[in-house]
Amino acid sequence: MMDVFYNLGLGFAVALTLKNVFFCFVGCLIGTLVGVLPGVGPVATISILLPVTLALDPTGALIMLAGIYYGAQYGGSTTAILVNIPGEATAVVTAIDGHEMAKQGKAGVALGLAAIGSFIAGTIATIVIAALGVPMTKMGLLFGPTEYFSLMVMGLVFAVVLAHGSLTKAVAMILVGVLLSCVGADMETGRERMSFGLHMLTDGIEFVVLAMGIFGFAEIFKNLADPEKRDLVKGSIGRLWPTLRELRENIGAILRGTGIGAILGVLPGNGAILGPFASYAAEKRISKRPQDFGKGVPQAVSGPESANNAGAQTSFIPLLTLGLPPNAVMALMVGAMMIQGIVPGPQVIDRNPELFWGLIASMWIGNLMLVIINLPLIGLWVKLLSVPYRLLFPAIVAFCCIGLFSISNDAAQVMMAGVLGLVGFALYKLQFEAAPLALGFVLGRLLEEKLRQALIISDGSMMTFVSSPLSAFLLAIGAVALCFAVLPSIRKSREDVFKDA
Amino acid sequence: MSHETSGGPTPPLASSFFLGREQLAGLSLIGFGLFALYASADLPFFTQGGVGSGLMPRSLAVLIVFLGIVQLVLTWRQPAESTGRWPIRDMMPVLIGIFLFAVTIRGFDFGAFRIPVLGMLVATPLSIICSGLAAKDVRPVELTIFAITLTAICIGLFRYALAQPLPVAPWLIGY
Repeated sequence: MMDVFYNLGLGFAVALTLKNVFFCFVGCLIGTLVGVLPGVGPVATISILLPVTLALDPTGALIMLAGIYYGAQYGGSTTAILVNIPGEATAVVTAIDGHEMAKQGKAGVALGLAAIGSFIAGTIATIVIAALGVPMTKMGLLFGPTEYFSLMVMGLVFAVVLAHGSLTKAVAMILVGVLLSCVGADMETGRERMSFGLHMLTDGIEFVVLAMGIFGFAEIFKNLADPEKRDLVKGSIGRLWPTLRELRENIGAILRGTGIGAILGVLPGNGAILGPFASYAAEKRISKRPQDFGKGVPQAVSGPESANNAGAQTSFIPLLTLGLPPNAVMALMVGAMMIQGIVPGPQVIDRNPELFWGLIASMWIGNLMLVIINLPLIGLWVKLLSVPYRLLFPAIVAFCCIGLFSISNDAAQVMMAGVLGLVGFALYKLQFEAAPLALGFVLGRLLEEKLRQALIISDGSMMTFVSSPLSAFLLAIGAVALCFAVLPSIRKSREDVFKDA
Repeated sequence: MSHETSGGPTPPLASSFFLGREQLAGLSLIGFGLFALYASADLPFFTQGGVGSGLMPRSLAVLIVFLGIVQLVLTWRQPAESTGRWPIRDMMPVLIGIFLFAVTIRGFDFGAFRIPVLGMLVATPLSIICSGLAAKDVRPVELTIFAITLTAICIGLFRYALAQPLPVAPWLIGY
């Protein structure tokens, strides 16, 4: 226990240097900005800024990029409450009751509760990460290729279970993602695979290109095809700070939301997005007046908002301790670490303690800054929301193009992302989810690498995955989870979590 | 966000001749899987050292085809739901905007003719104006002013503030 405080002390010493406080502030500011603007997400923003971070030191770069991610969670709620469209996918639930509150002239209280809830969630999540960091890393060191492979398979199964909609489609999307990650030079033999002799495919498909295509451009196509109704609240926002009584009424929802979000955030795939939904469902279930939900209940704002912030932060745990990215943003973080020459995995905590603990400490500082950035500056963000979409999306196109080009100064990447945007639009039309595809793609290369290593060690025997007790245990958990997901009764309640909201 | 827009029931197609969304999804999976099988046909499944470079891609492709068949079987008898509008024409300006950026930023050789390196100064406003035409409520003057302003900001931000090695306007200022 004392170690945790000692380590956090080291972290704060790193994070509180003038330079890192500045990077944290910049990250939070950019994060809030892209969170507020609908249609620009943290994935696209971090992709664009990835080449830029090359000039920074690793700690500063990661502090800034992390700030963008959790900052976007704060900003997303502003748009959800004031405009009734989620600025971020994780703020979908907030829009329901938050916007109702805004219509009743209580926009300020909704924003205030969201910010305070997020801050409490951020504080608790920071402690959770600090406490789990060392034990998780120790566990990670016990893992060989066999166990890593099984852990990833289990993670992908969880991603399927947590995805909503058809199970068949979710599994298929993960497999397509893994398959796409195989394109390009074979990591062992260097032989080109499925590249059709195209130069731009020799090194495989860049993750940033895939992400900007199926998330960035596809989102624009989607909005052009089915425009979202904007409904900006006119009139005053009202007081921002909730009264003590309102705080007391909401603290339960905030703490429950934090707990739910923190647990789901660690799980791969939809974890961070599912958190707010689960929190909303939980609040509705225990509420004395469930019929009021949807008409502006404060708990339906503070709970889910705490959940998405907690989830955004705890999703760093698998990345920092095991080197496994649980979602698309964390996959970009892997990229950010790699270009700095740091290989993510359990060794990071020993080799780069100042990075590990500095990043964790910066999250708390960032959360404090976000409360300050968000509440008093709310007028500024509201102004930003009046930028019409007809100007916003050309700007997004231009930023994405510049970002795509600067990955490798190659125009072919820009075109490929455009084509992938069409693919993403088709996926949306056929109701395939893009998130499992991105996750499969992210874990694909690692999955194949570990599979091959494991089979080399075991002389080609597949039995190695069940004869290692740890690996067998992980696979068993995955199998049980999959069985549960297929069972009709569980499937129903899984759908209900989304239907409720 | 997709579950918000896609969750609601879509009206069934008037004619049952057309394939519905779910059946189409199954067919696309089968198609993609078969294509991947074709693309990876030359890769060895096993080598002497162990797993060959074809094992993962080919087994995945087979699984995807299998899932496509499962999807078809499961949804075959469901009423065909429409996938809604595919307004490709409305999307074209954005695609062309992206394409124009790609061919002008560092030039492009089409064989018959070649585009010189025009740099950010040309590529950025071109992509903004072209893609902006996709909006139904487009205002040309506003869009042009916006494009010029944003280009200046982008050049200032990416080339000067962030020191990215992007060509600005080699034909004008040499870099």
